[in-house]
Amino acid sequence: MIRHLTLRTRTTAKGAVIELTGELDHRTAPEVRAALPGAGLEAGQQLVLDLAGLTFCDSSGITVLLAARNHARAADASIALAAVPDHLQRIFRVVGLEHVFPTHPTAGAAEAAWQPPTS
Amino acid sequence: MREAGGAAESGDRGEDRRPADEEALFSALLEDSAEELYEHAPCGYLTTLMDGQIVKVNSTLLDWLGYERGKLVGRKRFSELLTVGGRLYHETHFAPLLRMQGEISAIALELKTADGSRLPVMVTSRVKTGSDGQPLLIRTTILDARDRRAYEVELLRARQEADQERDRLKLLNSTLQKTLLPPALANVPGLDVAAYYHIASVEEVGGDFYDLFPLAAGTWGLFLGDVCGKGAAAAAVTSLARYTLRAAAVYDPDPAAVLTNLNTVLNHEYNGTDPRFCTVIFGLLTPDADRGGFRITLASGGHPPALLMRADGTADYLPTPGGQLIGVLPDADIATTTVHLAVGDTLLLHTDGLTEAHTNAGSEGRYGDDALLAFGRALAPTTASAVIGAVRDLLDTFGSGVDDDTAVLAVHVPRPTADEPR
Repeated sequence: MIRHLTLRTRTTAKGAVIELTGELDHRTAPEVRAALPGAGLEAGQQLVLDLAGLTFCDSSGITVLLAARNHARAADASIALAAVPDHLQRIFRVVGLEHVFPTHPTAGAAEAAWQPPTS
Repeated sequence: MREAGGAAESGDRGEDRRPADEEALFSALLEDSAEELYEHAPCGYLTTLMDGQIVKVNSTLLDWLGYERGKLVGRKRFSELLTVGGRLYHETHFAPLLRMQGEISAIALELKTADGSRLPVMVTSRVKTGSDGQPLLIRTTILDARDRRAYEVELLRARQEADQERDRLKLLNSTLQKTLLPPALANVPGLDVAAYYHIASVEEVGGDFYDLFPLAAGTWGLFLGDVCGKGAAAAAVTSLARYTLRAAAVYDPDPAAVLTNLNTVLNHEYNGTDPRFCTVIFGLLTPDADRGGFRITLASGGHPPALLMRADGTADYLPTPGGQLIGVLPDADIATTTVHLAVGDTLLLHTDGLTEAHTNAGSEGRYGDDALLAFGRALAPTTASAVIGAVRDLLDTFGSGVDDDTAVLAVHVPRPTADEPR
């Protein structure tokens, strides 16, 4: 049984994009949590978690998504999820988080939807 | 550097350090005979006949053992120098292997010295054969292994200490786990209850919890939940959640109010970069005077739905859509549902350790919600103890595939006995 997660971070003008591929569970969740401060998120930007390659997510994974949300908020940035897989959408419905995260079909769509904050 | 000219050349070699003389000095030092090398080598040498009788032994070994040469040569066999255990090993392994292979290397043994003390050694033996290939003698080299043995003893002691530490940790974890669960479930008149907690790892405390307890006016509260994460930090949240739920239920037993209170408490306590949350299902059980059985109102904070297995053999989940997990959002939505538990009905609450267990079948290699529903449908009608027993058996078949703790709690309305009022 191979269980692992690949994490790729890239920076766009609109904020950081973190691609998660594989299984997000209590073994791999700490990697993502540790990567958050290094994502280089600035105030007004948008953190996008690209979940297209996510094959599994348990409660520890949900915790990390919530930690990412808190991280973005603390940086005065916003957060969006891209390409949320069906299994995760099902979990979101069970735990009542389906309206908590803004979601987009792709990372590209999430970037396109981003609006600079009006201040 | 030369000293005092001619005097040195005339032959005072001890004081002179000319290269030519140095060579001479070394050759004088190295002029020790093969015999000298044998006798005072930094290891023990021993030669025996094929039957083990000692025929030659060097001074080094004699010094180590404290024997006179005459006490060993022609008088003792090699095996007689060994401890009882060593002699057994020599007879059963050492000697046969040596005869078979002609050589045996680096065997750890203990020699008995003349004063009865023991000397740990490493022994290497080789059979010397004659020109016709017939074995003649056994030559044995013996290395002092006292330092090595001391090191091994130290390693062993450290390992035993680590084992003891781990045992202590396991004991602490299981004790901690027990404090998070009720020692026994309350006895509810007219209701059978059963519960089971499956510990996935004795190394870490899990975060599942449940309880069933009396509230005012013949009503009963029950809950089952799952704190995200493992270990001491999760256990602290579990403890907080458990006592908050019991206190909140006394204050206001309305299930949605109970979970709202818990949400407020957890949200205030853990709102930083290390969010802690739990999913909980809370139920308020009220005896139904008109229809018999019980009425149960369930409130869910993001928890997997309860499974109702009815007396008529059907089974369904009791969905509570929209209920949000507890502790993350300042104003979490709590969803409730109310059902009647008739005679013969059984309600099962579970944590997702069960449905997320790794299996060979099922979607994504996990057991899954659909499989659990099918399991309930196959089982209905059932009883509290029967369904808990069946879940235990199911978890056993998953074996190590259950990588998260699992808690299950079942309530069942039995057929009233003749002397019991309905």
